[in-house]
Amino acid sequence: MSPAMNQFELNTTIANLRDLRESDLRDYDGVYLGDIYCRIYEANFLEQLGDLKEGLRILQDQGKRAYVTTYAGPRNDFLPKVRKMLEASATAGAQAVEVHNLGILKIAHDEFPQLPMHIGGFANVYTAPGVEVLRGFGAVRFTPNYELSLDEINEITAACGAPMELLVHGKMPLGISDYCFLLEYEEKWGIKCPDLCQKELFLKQGDWAMKSVGKGILSGKDVCMLEHLPRLLSEGHRHFRIETVSESPAYRSEVASVYRAALERVAAGDGEVDEGWWDTVRRHARIGLCNGFYFGRSGMDYAGIRPDAIGSLLTISRAES
Amino acid sequence: MVELLAPAGNLPMVEAAVTGGANAIYVGPCGWSRRRDRYELSDDEVLAAVGIAHEGGAKLRVAFNTNMQSHEIAPMLRKMERFVSWGVDGAIMTDIGAIEEVNRHFPNLTIHASIGANILNNEDVRFYRSIGVSQVVADTKLTLKELASRKEEIDVGIEILIHANKCYTYLGKCWMSPYHRLERTTDPFGKDLFKGSPNRGGLDYRVCLESWELYSGEDLWEKSVALKNDAFFLLADIPHLIDLGVHCLKVQGREYPVPLVERMVRFYRALIDAYVASPKGEPFNLLPWQLRLAAIQSERDESRSDGTRLLLAEARQPVPAR
Repeated sequence: MSPAMNQFELNTTIANLRDLRESDLRDYDGVYLGDIYCRIYEANFLEQLGDLKEGLRILQDQGKRAYVTTYAGPRNDFLPKVRKMLEASATAGAQAVEVHNLGILKIAHDEFPQLPMHIGGFANVYTAPGVEVLRGFGAVRFTPNYELSLDEINEITAACGAPMELLVHGKMPLGISDYCFLLEYEEKWGIKCPDLCQKELFLKQGDWAMKSVGKGILSGKDVCMLEHLPRLLSEGHRHFRIETVSESPAYRSEVASVYRAALERVAAGDGEVDEGWWDTVRRHARIGLCNGFYFGRSGMDYAGIRPDAIGSLLTISRAES
Repeated sequence: MVELLAPAGNLPMVEAAVTGGANAIYVGPCGWSRRRDRYELSDDEVLAAVGIAHEGGAKLRVAFNTNMQSHEIAPMLRKMERFVSWGVDGAIMTDIGAIEEVNRHFPNLTIHASIGANILNNEDVRFYRSIGVSQVVADTKLTLKELASRKEEIDVGIEILIHANKCYTYLGKCWMSPYHRLERTTDPFGKDLFKGSPNRGGLDYRVCLESWELYSGEDLWEKSVALKNDAFFLLADIPHLIDLGVHCLKVQGREYPVPLVERMVRFYRALIDAYVASPKGEPFNLLPWQLRLAAIQSERDESRSDGTRLLLAEARQPVPAR
């Protein structure tokens, strides 16, 4: 049985101490610390363990659920640092660690069994039997693979009752590489790593667009489930992520404010979406909005209840491209 | 003795691979493998493929390496039961739930973790060993040092792609293609198909190979950016891989013309045999082999670039309503 509708959790991701200190987190219940793509991302919590402990303390002082995420593509040479990071997380009181890699899950299960594990979107959760395998390794919460539709996600929860965490807003991860193509342009642009991937960079071709963070490729459009929150809550989902790891503090706080208000309104029995909320998400979405794969369609499609709500934005972005 | 594993996207290709000297051949049952349906085999064809392979002294593996849906695991097990009764020698799989179920139902069947499982480190390997996998396909980005460490530390069969493509992203951790175009259909047997999603069994539109413009905000910074995607041929590494004791050298290409696959298999068979027969400790001259491979490489590159052009055009087509 799902918790009451008002027992939801809204969380996000922050990569370093600077971003954490600059962010207004009042509308979040929890935060994952760390950048999953790159070890040399500027002051990545996953490499700066002093910063990680400080970040966890800041979250705890604010009464937030303090989580740590981990690398999505760890090779053998990452693992000694990962072990130290898990140890630091455990001693500093992280409430859970998110894993995208099954090797890290095995390390955590074998060596830090007291740490609850959340399964991230790159861990490829597609089936209920897959969830059961992961539970055997200490996993307690699951982000399904982004390719799954809501119907497929609900099939998993119906079969095994596992709590799912859903990306409800922001750039959806599309892929991860061991190679950063931005480094090829350091000299030409006169911008060095780690400043390169701090720029807001989009790969575009016609009406296609993807955001690049170097080793990570994200959706160009922002996934937006604002008008579908009544369905998500009524179907029993309670853990929602606004993906802001590559966004500004203003994006992080203003979008959260919209979703906090919308979720509270739905939990109180009213699913109406304020026009002001649309203005906020439109303003922050540079390319446009989409629903990811939640409705069984191409990830960049938008299946709006009110298509007019984002119509102007799509028109603008198509004209620009 | 290292095993040479060859692809087969149809029965003539199974025959060509056997004739060319493959020790093992892999095929994909319709709807269940990481290739589009035209390069997969019906159940009757899988049965015939088992016969052709075994008659030629080769093993036959079936690739159930899609990330399937929860409700598809039961029909997958029924199909696997049929294939096991026909004598298939192994299953190539990705989904951990499906792997554990297959291991429980068919404990004597060798399970190979697919390239789609994206096994990157030694702890990953230990995880898959713990759920019943005995052989793992190494990610194309791993170094010889990483492979040597894996071989040294873990009792597991290692399969290496020696003739394939290295994507920009890690295989199995990329959904750029279905983000741009996903067409869901159902085959005549009720199996859901996901055209556009390589992880879910449909084709990959290779959108990463598009010539991308790079913008910073509204400013165009680069007119053409390529996400690195290289064909690779580990010719120079093959002697080292054999010396290292890897279990299997794998050639990809179910979608290539049959004569090309036969030439590829013959080439690698001859190379492996020549190296194994050469005196230990003496330099092995790869130059003549490099010249022979160049001709195959050129034909293979042409075939692949034709395919990419068609796929990118297809990716721009509207998705029909279901």
